[in-house]
Amino acid sequence: MVRAMATRTTSTSGGLDRPNEPSVLILTSLASGDKHGYALTQDITKFAGVTLGPGTLYGAIARLEERGLIAPTPSDDRRQPYRITSSGRAALVAALQQMRQLADEGTMRLGLRVAKSQLARRPSVVWWAR
Amino acid sequence: MSRADRVAKLLGWYPPLWRAKYGPGLAALLEDTYGKGKIPAKAQISLIKTGVAERARETGLLGDTASPLERQRAGSLLVLCGWAGFMLAGALFAKFTDNWGASTSNGDRTLVRAMYATVQWGGAAGALLVLTAALIVLPSLIRLVRSGDWTSLRRPVVQALCTGTVFVASSVGLILWAHHLSYRDRNGALVSYEIVVACWSVAVGVCVAVGTSAAVSITQRLDLSRRKVQSLSTMAMALTLSMAAILAAMITWWKIEASHAPAFMRDGIGNGFIVTSSTFPPALVVASILMMIGLAAAIAGALRVAHARRGGAGTHLGGSIS
Repeated sequence: MVRAMATRTTSTSGGLDRPNEPSVLILTSLASGDKHGYALTQDITKFAGVTLGPGTLYGAIARLEERGLIAPTPSDDRRQPYRITSSGRAALVAALQQMRQLADEGTMRLGLRVAKSQLARRPSVVWWAR
Repeated sequence: MSRADRVAKLLGWYPPLWRAKYGPGLAALLEDTYGKGKIPAKAQISLIKTGVAERARETGLLGDTASPLERQRAGSLLVLCGWAGFMLAGALFAKFTDNWGASTSNGDRTLVRAMYATVQWGGAAGALLVLTAALIVLPSLIRLVRSGDWTSLRRPVVQALCTGTVFVASSVGLILWAHHLSYRDRNGALVSYEIVVACWSVAVGVCVAVGTSAAVSITQRLDLSRRKVQSLSTMAMALTLSMAAILAAMITWWKIEASHAPAFMRDGIGNGFIVTSSTFPPALVVASILMMIGLAAAIAGALRVAHARRGGAGTHLGGSIS
């Protein structure tokens, strides 16, 4: 599903294209461990099907670092690795919850069934049925 | 050109501070991604685009990382850049409408005269605003020069002084020469005069561009108080309004004259060079395009100022990257 949503590129779709935001993709990638630029692009391509251009990637890295959402980790190599900070983790959680709410809302409005048993445990988990 | 040179050239689009911090990592990423092969055009465009965006961010024109005052200053300077386009367009319009009052019939000319006066008064008001803004920043500039910490300003100042000197000298020479020519020679009969005037016009354009660039560089580096920045941004917004009035008045004047005085429009400067038209004289087309570009820049700058004054700052994670 992430892959399908990530391939959307139009900005007219409001929040639907939010998973495609470089910041969200980078934070998601760093959530599983520290990575440098190349490792980030490889990982993002793998899990989201999106290839970030070098300019876009470093522009996003600079913004995230400015906001304290990621931080560089000590390294002697010029390949500078980055780690997600606690603020970054919190921001990612908030962004993912927003996406999940949107997905749930869209699912409901499309008339697709939501598993009640699952809803009771995790309100935002849905399953798809034709 | 070696690969390292190509990468260095691409990184040159980024501001120096950004380059010092992220340049090595970005260069390593390019090396890891493309090996020794050519960097694809798409990636190069991506780098240039983000490099320009980073420069705009650094000056406070983009993003919300700069302080509201810095954003106001950046917006005001963008309005000044728009005004530079208006100065060139205004000069072209003034030359085109030379002898306009005497060449056209009297009749009911109330509206067209009012429009012409609006262009003139709008221009005068704009020039006055820019002059007042220059006077406001002058004490800070003097303080900076006295402190001796103005080496970074030397280059733009020297460039502006050089082009200004060349402009003044060429203008004096041109005026002296024109003084010895007949009306006919000055109005298309003497080809050499036309060529010199064309070269002089280019010099005016270069002079305005270099002067504006120097003014922007200087104002960016000056230590200005909150009150001064707010005064400058208020004047920038007023300047934007006068630019909008000038453009609207010029287009109205143009429309009326195209239908009531086609002979005057056909004989204006620029006609006959590539095309001849009484409805769309090339000089007015160029002037209006310059004004539209200038006004677009000024509106963007004024909006930036207004947004910064409201203290607007997008903090949404998704909206933070462009």
